Amino acid sequence: MSKRARKWVVRAVPGAVLGLALGFAIGWWLWPVQYTNTAPSVLRQDYRDDYIVMVAAAYEVEEDLGQARERLELLDSEEPAALVVELAERLVEAGGSTEDITHLARLAWALGATTSTLVPYLEGPP
Amino acid sequence: MSRVSSRQAALIIGLVIGLALGLVYTWGIAPVELVNTYPALLRTDYRWDWIRLVALSYVTDGDLERARARLDGLEQEDVAGAIQALIEEHAAAGRPAGTLRRLTALAEALDVYTPAMLVYLHTPTSAPPAPASTSSPTLTSTILPPTPTPTLPRASTSTPSPTPTTKPTRTPRPLTPTPTPLSPFQLIQQEQICEPGQTPHIEVVVRDERGTGLDGVVVWLMWPGGADRAVTGLKPQGGAGYADFDAEPGVSYALGIGELGMPLVTDLRIESCPARKGKEPLLGSWRIVVKRRSPETEM
Repeated sequence: MSKRARKWVVRAVPGAVLGLALGFAIGWWLWPVQYTNTAPSVLRQDYRDDYIVMVAAAYEVEEDLGQARERLELLDSEEPAALVVELAERLVEAGGSTEDITHLARLAWALGATTSTLVPYLEGPP
Repeated sequence: MSRVSSRQAALIIGLVIGLALGLVYTWGIAPVELVNTYPALLRTDYRWDWIRLVALSYVTDGDLERARARLDGLEQEDVAGAIQALIEEHAAAGRPAGTLRRLTALAEALDVYTPAMLVYLHTPTSAPPAPASTSSPTLTSTILPPTPTPTLPRASTSTPSPTPTTKPTRTPRPLTPTPTPLSPFQLIQQEQICEPGQTPHIEVVVRDERGTGLDGVVVWLMWPGGADRAVTGLKPQGGAGYADFDAEPGVSYALGIGELGMPLVTDLRIESCPARKGKEPLLGSWRIVVKRRSPETEM
């Protein structure tokens, strides 16, 4: 590399560093990639919990197990029932709404998965 | 002068190269991670299903504030579209009147209107249950709808953050806490009419307890996406208590009578008449006869 070219590169380096910093600032902070058309699986945990509670409530109204399963599979295609049981147990432990737990317990039962903790919620109306 | 220009050129070219590399890295190689999103970012069909779930949950718990919180941040247009579609679908499927009343109450509270809900507006109804109560004083927490606070870094100026749905200022109509009443009418005849040259239609005859035609009764015909209203006795040629509607094949109709408006007949379709030898196939109409219940049979 000629002396002149080396000199030019040395002069360009601060600009490149500045540009890189600017690029990071724009790409991660000022103007990040905007996601739209997302799926329920990437919802924040509290929204995911609320989604499961609503699926269980909707099952009470629609009585459509296939539909409920399809909705849960959007969160976990492998073990949709486990999501319901796990949330129901978490709500029981946290002293959550009896109505919500009952809906979850019923849906879990319909999906063929329940635990001894949830059995009391299967009896009688919510 | 030329030395200064050369230095500036090097700086600018370096800046451009650096900026390009930075953007390629942050947008292409390591973009903001897709986690912790919120309902407003869902794909349209998932977003509509979220709204449907909110409405169906409202049917079970009657908690309007919870429903509003769950819908917070979603466009009113989406909310209206999804709830209208849900009500129309449920009305056409002949779902229980109680469910439709709850959906209608939610729609009204959210300033959403659709013809299919007209029948269920301002009709006697039972009050939605109080927001989920707990049977034990120790069970006090419930899953509260998350607050729409996106955790994705968002542009402060170039990208609009999700704006909360405008809260309707309408005060929900107080609901009378009476048990869901039985329809004052009962279906006594549903007959397919096969007459050549007739336009497919649905005839309704409303009679009183003694079987006399009853004029001035409002009859509703509902279908996915619409509803029509007729009053008996306005076509004397049909006799007392008579009203009719034009109907189309391939549509599922539901029929409701009177102010109460509970569908008495659901999934009513214009179908072909039984084939007759040597005759053109006909589309049959329907004749529906309903009779007012005598007071002692009403609940």
